[in-house]
Amino acid sequence: MNRKILAAGSIAAVAALALAGCSGGTDAGESADPDAPITLTLSGWSIDTTPEFQTLADAFTKDHPNVTIELKEYDAAEYNTLVTADLAAGSGPDIITQKEVKYVTTFQEGGQLLDVSDVALPDGISGTGSYEVDGAAYAVPYRQDSWVLFYNKALFDAAGVDQPDGSWTWDDYADAAEALTTDASKGAYLHRWQSTVQGFANAQTGTSVLDGDFGNMKDYYDNTLALQDAGYQVDFNTSTANQLTYQGEFGTQKAAMMLMGTWYTASLIAQQASGEANDFEWGIAPAPQLDAKTAGTDNTPVTFGDPTGFGINANIDSAKVDAAKQFLEFAASEDAAQALAAIGITPALTNDAVVESYFAVEGAPTDDLSKFAWSTHEVVPENTTSSKTATIQGILADLHTGVMSGSTSVDDAIKTAEDRVKNEVG
Amino acid sequence: MTTTEAPRRDAAPPQTKLPRRRSALRRRNALIGWSFILPNFLGFGFLTLLPVLILFYMAFTNWNVFGKADWVGFANFQRLLGDGSFHIAFWNTIYYSVMHIPLTIIVSLGLALLLNNKLRGVAFFRTAAFFPYITSIVAIAVVWNLLFSPDYGPINEVLRAIGISEPPGWLTSSEWAMPAVVVVSTWRDMGYYMILFLAGLQTVPRELHEAARVDGANVWQRFVNVTIPSLRPTMFFVTVILTINSFKIFDLILVMTDGGPGQSTLVLSQFIYKKGFEESQFGYASSAAVALFFLCILVTIGQFLWNKKRSA
Amino acid sequence: MTETQVLVSGGTLRRLNDPAPVGRSRGRLTIGRTLGYIALIIAAVGLLAPFFWMIMSSLKNANEVFSVPVVWVPETFVWQNYIDIWTKSDMLVWIRNTLFLAVSVTFLQVLTGSFAAYGFARMKFAGRDILFLVYIGTIAVPWQSYMIPQFILLSNLKVSNTLWSIILLQAFGAFGVFLMKQYYETIPEELSEAARLDGLSEYGIWRRIMLPLSVPAIASLTLLTFVNTWNDYLGPLIYLRNPDLWTIQLGLKSFVSNLFDTNYALLFAGLTISVVPIAIIFLLGQKYFVEGIATSGLKG
Repeated sequence: MNRKILAAGSIAAVAALALAGCSGGTDAGESADPDAPITLTLSGWSIDTTPEFQTLADAFTKDHPNVTIELKEYDAAEYNTLVTADLAAGSGPDIITQKEVKYVTTFQEGGQLLDVSDVALPDGISGTGSYEVDGAAYAVPYRQDSWVLFYNKALFDAAGVDQPDGSWTWDDYADAAEALTTDASKGAYLHRWQSTVQGFANAQTGTSVLDGDFGNMKDYYDNTLALQDAGYQVDFNTSTANQLTYQGEFGTQKAAMMLMGTWYTASLIAQQASGEANDFEWGIAPAPQLDAKTAGTDNTPVTFGDPTGFGINANIDSAKVDAAKQFLEFAASEDAAQALAAIGITPALTNDAVVESYFAVEGAPTDDLSKFAWSTHEVVPENTTSSKTATIQGILADLHTGVMSGSTSVDDAIKTAEDRVKNEVG
Repeated sequence: MTTTEAPRRDAAPPQTKLPRRRSALRRRNALIGWSFILPNFLGFGFLTLLPVLILFYMAFTNWNVFGKADWVGFANFQRLLGDGSFHIAFWNTIYYSVMHIPLTIIVSLGLALLLNNKLRGVAFFRTAAFFPYITSIVAIAVVWNLLFSPDYGPINEVLRAIGISEPPGWLTSSEWAMPAVVVVSTWRDMGYYMILFLAGLQTVPRELHEAARVDGANVWQRFVNVTIPSLRPTMFFVTVILTINSFKIFDLILVMTDGGPGQSTLVLSQFIYKKGFEESQFGYASSAAVALFFLCILVTIGQFLWNKKRSA
Repeated sequence: MTETQVLVSGGTLRRLNDPAPVGRSRGRLTIGRTLGYIALIIAAVGLLAPFFWMIMSSLKNANEVFSVPVVWVPETFVWQNYIDIWTKSDMLVWIRNTLFLAVSVTFLQVLTGSFAAYGFARMKFAGRDILFLVYIGTIAVPWQSYMIPQFILLSNLKVSNTLWSIILLQAFGAFGVFLMKQYYETIPEELSEAARLDGLSEYGIWRRIMLPLSVPAIASLTLLTFVNTWNDYLGPLIYLRNPDLWTIQLGLKSFVSNLFDTNYALLFAGLTISVVPIAIIFLLGQKYFVEGIATSGLKG
């Protein structure tokens, strides 16, 4: 028996040693020469098809020639898992791109993010709230997508339906979907993500998912199911079975309207240029509103979206901290916003000059409503920054698949979700 | 080995007569035995056993994967007992296994028996049976999602053609999603276990079959009295591995349904993955992994004992 | 092993497997046989249909793959997908990496596994059964749950992001040990006893008796390990970050998709190419599963 205890003890010792040896990052200690060459690693994904990282890196090194930014590519679908593994093993990047807000608290509570409250941010930049924990900022937003309504002007004209004017409510949207449905195309396409329904339900009713009360979603789900049942939009199950892509549905004109994030404009422009999408005139309009109070171009429509930001690895070489903070400050600045807008990314800072850059890209819509929809809105964060968010969103994802597939009724699904939050999150 | 006399003497020796030779023998056996095991155990011990032991330790902590792991005793396990999703995952896993295990054994054993000959073209059929296993899981999920599509898929078209007016919703319905998954999983696994059974069938002595046939036993009697007993080590192996793999099922369900619709196909491995990597509660996830481990071990020990009893 | 010993011990000898007796109806197609063939063909269709759809879809345009209703044979065959895979992607690099990994892992698994299995099956020593249970126990733990401690360990050994990480991960699994041990238990002890009497060491017994008699098990372990390593996705995803280390599954996935979209026709083309080597190995190696190579006894 003694031998076994000894064995167990030595195993525990080895384990402790193995895990303890995992904190990475050396400590330089002394203050370094500000012009010494520095290399910062930055985590990105799908680098070939996501030019924003390279663009920001190039623009930054132009003004800071002693700094090299090395992009570390991560798999897009498993980004969080891989970054977590790397950070746990001490081989994480110096600048950690915050791809999804719901993991910010994990990194922050795990001590992986440096406090960056002293990084100067321009006025009017949106998305900073998502990176604040206990009054301190742990990341800096460089990009803020929001959800808008994409519409196919050609199909509208062909069906004789008035194009959106920025004052639509959900009833207007439903009416248009009905009028636009033909044999060849549906009125609208709704993608399978839970955001497409829940994002609006929460943002426009001012509900926080953290409260655990999901009654506000009932109307939104009822409306969506009605559209689906009436045949004005492809139903969820067909979309799943056929792995429909939203770019394909809207781009090949199978649907006249689509609620989607502003990131789609860059893809659509590129796909129209390459021929993968059809050649037709399109525009973006503000998302349909809950009621007339927030609708119209003299009001501020309410929509939702999460920022993407950069954080700094808490285990970074102390000699590199200044350079890293400078990069964060740059990424949030107007110069970076201009650079991003020119490649079709929606930056966190949008002023008139940035709007012009964005819509100056060839293939972008040129009408005023599109510019209004893109720049003037109240963007409610989709994911509140909290350690409970990931769990609650998981519960809500199950609600979504249950309701949209038709296997659970809306009321039952909402009740189950509420009970689960009480049981699992407490 | 000692001379031919030694075995007889050792057959019933009083302890005092040959203590030194006996313990020397035991030590020699241990040394040799360990020398065989060591190459594999070195790699296994460090790369698999050690992380697993760390995992077990973490189940009693509130590990956040980045180094903080404060001891919380049985708190995680108590939480598991009260966690509704854990219960659902647990029972879904049992439901899946109870359907999958017997079905797979019957089908793969049947295939192995059928294809254990040298008839013309049998190599083609064996390859056909193995194809599902070597196809990428992404392709499998995509294809079967399409085949199971309730409105346009071929499966429901066939069902409608033979008169079933309201065919099941399969992967879109919470009642039929798990059976659909079991079908795909069995389809995928039958080639794999067929191979194991084929290898095992080679140990069935031909002359016993001949003797039995000469004695007038028919196919079924020969199967029960000659094939099955000879297959016992293989059957035991297949059952244990199949059971453990069924309890651990993850990839297929993840790409086919991701636990849905709702939570109707949520299984334990997925619960562990979600808690760990999506909700960053690694300590809690570890405790669920320990629970899954004990489930597998209890069933495996049961199978061990059953097997020992049968072979005694 | 004399005849007498066989009779006395009721020994289960291994014999060369004769082809299944075709019975009195040799050469004639009986109703039973025809029905049997038909049943097999239907079963084969069911087994291969999804795979057939996958191959056909690899010859479609990307946006035709998922059409309503299901299209089994495309009107025009788009061979461009295959050309794209070979010319535009690093398929050769991926194949090289995957081949290296699969062969190394299989070789090590079979070698150390069968070696260790002998120790478990034939040698008696204290703690043997408990150790074996520990082995099986680790199979019972899902890999995702101890993936992170394992990753930390391998990173500290500085082998993560090299091909060695995958080899170390997979080569020393418990599955191979378990499989070979079960198979060894079907080999009669008398053969080893006789060999020991002849003066063969335990290692000699393993090499001269156990290995040749367990060819079907070795063949199946080889095949299954090879396939598992070939198709492994999550392991390489976590450990092989440099694109020049990627395996086929990794490379294909990143080649055909960007953040929002996947070109399934291209993906299927790549997957079809990926399946070919395994199919060939299986076809060629089939005889090792079904032809028992055995002795009818030792000399003398």
